[in-house]
Amino acid sequence: MDEVIYLEVLEGDAVHVRHRLERFPVTVGRGYGSDVILDDPKVSAAHLRVERAEDGGLVVRDLGSRNGTFRVEPWARLAELVLTDDARVMVGDTVLRFRGRGYAVEGTLVAEAPVGIRQRVFERPRIFLGALGAAMAASLLSSYLTSYDQVDWGELLFSMLLPTAFALAWAGGWSIASRIARRQFHFRAHGAIGSLVLLGTICLPGFLTLLGFSLASGTALSWLAMFGYLGLVAWGLFWHLRYVTRWDSRRLGATVGAIVLGFGALMQAEDLLGNEDFSMSMEFPRTLLPASFRLLPASSADDFFGEAIDLQQQVDELTKEK
Amino acid sequence: MVALLVLAVLAQAPVPAQSPAPPLAPVQVEPSPPEAGEPEIVPQLPVATLPPATHELFERIKRRVAQVRIIERRSGTKSSIGSAFFVSADGHAITNYHVVSDLVFHPEDYTAELVRDGQEPGAVSLVAVDVVHDLAIVHLGQPVPDFFQLQEKPPPQGARLFAMGNPRDLGTTIVEGTYNGLVQDALYDRVHFSGAINPGMSGGPTLTGEGRVVGVNVATMGNQVGFLVPVDHARALLNRALGAQAEDSSPKALLAAVHAQLLDHQQRITERLLGTSLPQQSLGPYHVPGRWLPFLKCWGDTPHDPEAQYTVTNYQCSSEEDLYVSSDQRTGMVSYSHQHLSSTKLGALRFSALYSAFFSSDPSVVEATRDDVTNFRCHSEFVSSGGLTLRAALCLRAYKKFPGLYDLVLRAAPLPSSSQGVDTSLTLAGFSPENAYKLARRYLEGLSWTK
Repeated sequence: MDEVIYLEVLEGDAVHVRHRLERFPVTVGRGYGSDVILDDPKVSAAHLRVERAEDGGLVVRDLGSRNGTFRVEPWARLAELVLTDDARVMVGDTVLRFRGRGYAVEGTLVAEAPVGIRQRVFERPRIFLGALGAAMAASLLSSYLTSYDQVDWGELLFSMLLPTAFALAWAGGWSIASRIARRQFHFRAHGAIGSLVLLGTICLPGFLTLLGFSLASGTALSWLAMFGYLGLVAWGLFWHLRYVTRWDSRRLGATVGAIVLGFGALMQAEDLLGNEDFSMSMEFPRTLLPASFRLLPASSADDFFGEAIDLQQQVDELTKEK
Repeated sequence: MVALLVLAVLAQAPVPAQSPAPPLAPVQVEPSPPEAGEPEIVPQLPVATLPPATHELFERIKRRVAQVRIIERRSGTKSSIGSAFFVSADGHAITNYHVVSDLVFHPEDYTAELVRDGQEPGAVSLVAVDVVHDLAIVHLGQPVPDFFQLQEKPPPQGARLFAMGNPRDLGTTIVEGTYNGLVQDALYDRVHFSGAINPGMSGGPTLTGEGRVVGVNVATMGNQVGFLVPVDHARALLNRALGAQAEDSSPKALLAAVHAQLLDHQQRITERLLGTSLPQQSLGPYHVPGRWLPFLKCWGDTPHDPEAQYTVTNYQCSSEEDLYVSSDQRTGMVSYSHQHLSSTKLGALRFSALYSAFFSSDPSVVEATRDDVTNFRCHSEFVSSGGLTLRAALCLRAYKKFPGLYDLVLRAAPLPSSSQGVDTSLTLAGFSPENAYKLARRYLEGLSWTK
């Protein structure tokens, strides 16, 4: 072993504390007379000693501790151990690792992008306020259009404040996560991302309704709606997590994609498996908009009843199921 | 207002705990004796026109009436009750189909027995059914000494009649009432009997003072409004049952009979409807289907709400009657409704949201469970018809036990124009697809723009 070695106190796989050992013998224990002090109640006051052997190697020697010293791999109780690089011993509940100066570390990870002071789009104050404002306006508009009683200003105000409160609380939650993981709140960025997701959630149904009406389509649209929502969730989750974790974007993208797709599959599991509960409901599009929104021509009554003949076959199929 | 004609089915399921009803005063039926002071010269009425003494009549015929008990095999006790009356010396008795329908659908789970006054219950078999007129013939395996004659011609309106049966398992009862002719414009023939008919009396006879049966108790609307199946249908079914072979009364054959009767019945209704042109009713600037045939009862209203930003005019027609198939399933219903919506206060988009919300609520279809019907499948398109562009949807579900019969719902609404629209729906229960499509087509063509 080298002249100088490092004693590492491990916590799981990570290093909790690292001690530089230069002059030997070095004593390790819970007592204040030790050179390296371990605050582990199962470690004796004077637990072990690292000393140089006559041949120049280093030896760990148990000092008659109450609970003993163990070699981790292979597991064995020991009184004395000649140290090799990366040797691990356990004292009490603490794992110690010894490494020489010659230990080769892994290559430096390449940073994905220059982590400069460049501001991301979401961090600009105007984006946050703009997105929040747009979400508020969209919510106001949708609640105005879908209420056909006399205009209730209190209700409209509420419909505007609710998404605001929600967006702020949402951004607050993510900010705390950012603070814990990366020591910075990034509140503005989380607020902007949250507001944009909210804006999408409010606008998507209206957009799909309009599209469904214009193209007179029903079933294809329900898939589109699902992918729309999943895409929105994935986008939001990805950017929120960008500000929380230090993962590179490819890994993060794959993780978020897997989560969202798994979630989507779970939601559609009933449909995918072909299970259908008994119900008296009738599934067909219900949107009625002024004729100017319609893009496709209307069919004749002949065509309508002609194509409806298939229904008989479809329900006859259902009678065969148990 | 919509008068909901609720026909309480008289086959009685487990008797609910009854709060003690006030005892009824004994009915005084005999004519009151002439007052003492009156001169004796008032001529006596001829004997034949005197109302009979009810107690004498009752004493004479009480053996001809029996209680039907539907016995559930596993619990070994009755699951529902009704009444029946004997009509032949070798033990044929008439009752309602709805009393014995469990025997048709679950012959392995249910049996039936007849209980006469003071006698041991006797097992009976189901011989024939008439699902459309709600009648059934059961057969007791032993001869009966005493049975009813069926009246040949209907009595005059106002004639005094006596309904018999076993209401709510209280014992054989006789109830006085009057004959009020056939219910006008009904889809299913019914005699209107003004007298109290109660659950448990289903399948019992209603007779003249001479003891001849004029009808079979079937339903009540409460308040002395009772309904009877005219005896002609019972006679027809009895003749059929007497001429039937043994294999015609197997559970499979009975189910097939119900199936055939439902198919015939929908064919008859379809022919009646298609044989008449569909009258038009105007609703705002639209023409909509009006009262197609007299058996459809139409009601309409425009509720006034000063707060509302819009007005809705309802117009709905319905046969108001359905056919009892089993305790879970009804069929044989024809109904449709229109809602005309207009607003001067709402903008085009807000009106569209309102109109879409109205279009989103569907009419209720006849009662059924997952054992009886499939889920709906719908076909929806923009259809141009009668000068209107409609969003139309046709929904269909199949009957699992009766192949070839379906429930159809047609929903249609013209696209809104200048903040008005009309939302319409047609429900046809228990039709063949060909007939249902023909009727729906005729209905859809009844929808047009007036200008």
